[in-house]
Amino acid sequence: MIVVHYLNQFFAGLGGEEAASLPPSRIEGPVGPGNGLRGAGLLVDTTLACGDNYFAEHEADALSQLLAWLGAIKPDVIVCGPAFGSGRYGYACGVLAREADRLGIPAVCAMAPENPGVLAAAGHAYVIPTAPNVAGMRAALPLVAGLARRLGQGEPVGGPADEGYLPRGLRANTVASKSGAERAVEALLAKLAGHPRTEVEPDADRVAPAKPLADLASTTVALVTESGLIPVGNPDRLPSRHADFWLRYPISDVRSLSPEGYQSVHAGFDTTVANADPNRLVPLDALRLLEQEGRIGTVYGYLYTTSGVDTPVSAATRFGQEIAAELVTAGVQAAILTGT
Amino acid sequence: MTVLITALPTIAQMAGVNRVLRGVSITSPTGDVSLAAADELGLRRQILERALALLAADVAPATVWEVAP
Repeated sequence: MIVVHYLNQFFAGLGGEEAASLPPSRIEGPVGPGNGLRGAGLLVDTTLACGDNYFAEHEADALSQLLAWLGAIKPDVIVCGPAFGSGRYGYACGVLAREADRLGIPAVCAMAPENPGVLAAAGHAYVIPTAPNVAGMRAALPLVAGLARRLGQGEPVGGPADEGYLPRGLRANTVASKSGAERAVEALLAKLAGHPRTEVEPDADRVAPAKPLADLASTTVALVTESGLIPVGNPDRLPSRHADFWLRYPISDVRSLSPEGYQSVHAGFDTTVANADPNRLVPLDALRLLEQEGRIGTVYGYLYTTSGVDTPVSAATRFGQEIAAELVTAGVQAAILTGT
Repeated sequence: MTVLITALPTIAQMAGVNRVLRGVSITSPTGDVSLAAADELGLRRQILERALALLAADVAPATVWEVAP
């Protein structure tokens, strides 16, 4: 089994911040935390190192050199870090791990769960969560070494709860000992007995509530919907399910959403009632009244829409981020989102 | 910041939405086909006033409001 270990300049012993601009380098054998991995039963063949600033400022160049070495070495597994709470180091670990995995090299990272490197790995790496500082080294290395050894030897690896790595956003098929009907009845009985439980924990993106709006009368309010509302005839061919894009339509000259002008193509509910009066999906007529009375500043000039049917969370997340970015750039302070 | 008007507030809470207003029904979150047109517009206005109040309120995570206070 061939093992490669990625470190930043500090953990590779090349220097501190003054060495953070060093380009990638290649060292034979284990260095620094690599010695700890050896103590935990994982022998590092080659250590790759790069300055944190060099990677951040020259990502394409750094990655190109590091991947070229990986291509030549052909390791069975790569370990990146531990990077703890270090953002630049963690990011480099996450990106390198992701690209290594794309080349077919299993990757194990270790870093604090809040480290941006977890997102950078984009589900491609097994990320062992660590403390935010180097005090977590001793606890992390045996977990990293054990997981990397098994991945490198092609042994099966269990789910995140069993193995202790962070969820990668993937689902794996497993064989259950009881049928779905039996498990559903058991879950129902448990709920009736006052002990609700679930086999599937929703993986929600928790954010703190935004601060309250201070002055509604000067606020620009946007209307956003997943109800599949589009101009009659669906000129941009919004799919009625599995939509992989959203649309934006000008409404600055529209007082009310008439059934002659608008309709819903949403495949997830009976649109009869909504198509008779599309304001039932997007309350433009009433919002215009509040605008006229000065209760809000203005209604933003575009309606944002998609059809939220069988939409993967990843796609919905992207829609939300893209729409929010446009609204923020346009100076919109509030959005009223309607869902069906 | 966003307020979500939906007849499925539990799902919105599970998804991590912080300001949720319960809509009238799945097929008509901001309307009620059983009302006369003028009354329905009045209801829609009331829904929006509640939505705006929710935007102006300091809330805990996953807060759900009803239209009738």
